[in-house]
Amino acid sequence: MIQLHNVSLAYQQDASALSNINLKIGKGEFVFLTGPSGAGKTSLLRLLYAALTPNRGQILIDGQNISRMTAPQIPLLRRSIGVVFQDFKLLQNRTVFENVAITLEVLGWGRGDIGKKTMYMLKLLGIESKYNLVTQRLSGGEQQRVALARALVNDPKILLADEPTGNLDDANKNQILNIFKEANIRGTTVVVATHDRRLIEQSHMRLVTLNKGEIVEQVEKETAYDAQAL
Amino acid sequence: MNKWKKKPHTTPKPYKRPALSGGGFGGRSGFFLARAVTNIRQNIFVNVVTIGTITLALLIVSLFLLVFINLESAVENWSERVQVTVYFDKEPTVQEQSSLREKISALPEVSHVGYVSRDEALKRFKKRLRGQETLLDGVRPETLPASIEIALKQTYRDTMSVENFVISLKRIPAITEVQYGEEWVRRFNSFITFARLLAALLGGFLVIAVVFIVSNTIKLTIYSRREELEVMSLVGATRFFIRAPFLLEGLIQGIAGAVLSLILMFVLFELFLQNAGSFLTFNPADSGLSFLPIEYICGLLIAGAALGFIGSLTSLKRFINV
Repeated sequence: MIQLHNVSLAYQQDASALSNINLKIGKGEFVFLTGPSGAGKTSLLRLLYAALTPNRGQILIDGQNISRMTAPQIPLLRRSIGVVFQDFKLLQNRTVFENVAITLEVLGWGRGDIGKKTMYMLKLLGIESKYNLVTQRLSGGEQQRVALARALVNDPKILLADEPTGNLDDANKNQILNIFKEANIRGTTVVVATHDRRLIEQSHMRLVTLNKGEIVEQVEKETAYDAQAL
Repeated sequence: MNKWKKKPHTTPKPYKRPALSGGGFGGRSGFFLARAVTNIRQNIFVNVVTIGTITLALLIVSLFLLVFINLESAVENWSERVQVTVYFDKEPTVQEQSSLREKISALPEVSHVGYVSRDEALKRFKKRLRGQETLLDGVRPETLPASIEIALKQTYRDTMSVENFVISLKRIPAITEVQYGEEWVRRFNSFITFARLLAALLGGFLVIAVVFIVSNTIKLTIYSRREELEVMSLVGATRFFIRAPFLLEGLIQGIAGAVLSLILMFVLFELFLQNAGSFLTFNPADSGLSFLPIEYICGLLIAGAALGFIGSLTSLKRFINV
């Protein structure tokens, strides 16, 4: 599903954000990206949804080389990728419903279908009662769920999440993790960047550790828990 | 526990993805229009500011045009005074008159030829000295010359053309004395040239200022919504899809501004006509002042629409780079 070959990225000529990354993520996999702040987690995610282009190397998503994509092809790629941003990127003066519906509007769905699917998604995330509130009046956990609903409403092939549990309490973290797992069970490939050790330990999923722009450790699924326990 | 956690177990039936509604602008124009109207409603403050700016800007332009048009028509009236007169020592016979009129009318510059007999000349003189006719008691028609007055077509009223016309007029035998108020024609024409230049210059500056102000206002309104542009782009909207509602919004703003400015201008104009009589020496209602002709009104509407549309387009180019 996702393949990176010798990918390097530098924001400025001297400081390289990522160097020589080789990574394969299969269809339906659940992967945690971890590492200290500035390790390159966010940069790696941004490469995957084509917000950045690598200086060197190839990125294949679902067989398509995104480093060679033309500007009009990028929107089509992004429609199959749901992204949850660290800062949510919700439209503050719009309602919860409008924030989620925007993904489907972009796809050209009809009004009735958008209404049904959006409410279905809000229900799944337990925020259907807030559908008519503007997002700036929601709590952090609720905003996080709206961001998730927006990313998932389209049943994306890939879900990318950047520090999705950044400032949530434990109860909320567990709920968010469950939503990721359910999306994963429905067939979505999930990549979560986080430095939340507890989240990773609880989930027993594949773990990729970055440090200073390089992959320093990869732990496969199932053994992840033992590896962390050592 | 909160009820939320139980939800996944009572998962609603998986949703079947529906077919897309019509593609392209045709299929989605309704959506784009609805989106534009919703945007205007949701960002009512910035929209009021933008429409207000466009209204004021176009109001200034239309005021300028209104003054310009009325001055032009006044100038046209004045230039009718550019007239060439041929004087005769002896009153020509009727035959001579008609042959002269024919020859003069044949010249391309001439729009109208009128013969003024000695009697007619005296009558005019008396009319001019109304109240003091007694001064003319001893004056007899024979003391005044007969003349032919020639009005020129509008395009031949500048100094050069008038001089050339006089030269060709003098080639006609029997025409010796020609007067046309050289000094007045020269001054009048150089004044007109200067005034037109000034108007063009002012108009040019005005248009530049208007375009600058309006485009900056629109830029600010779009800047205030750059997050929306970013989010749309990140969820996979095409450039066209992101732009279309904003462009429609710009179009609506531009047309609304133009319509408002024309309404305001019309109201001001009517108020001026009704009330200016009290502080002006002439009554403007009778002076032939006119409102903007229909071509100018259409032009202003189109200018408003273009301002809104192009202003949005150039601003969007700046902010959509994702």
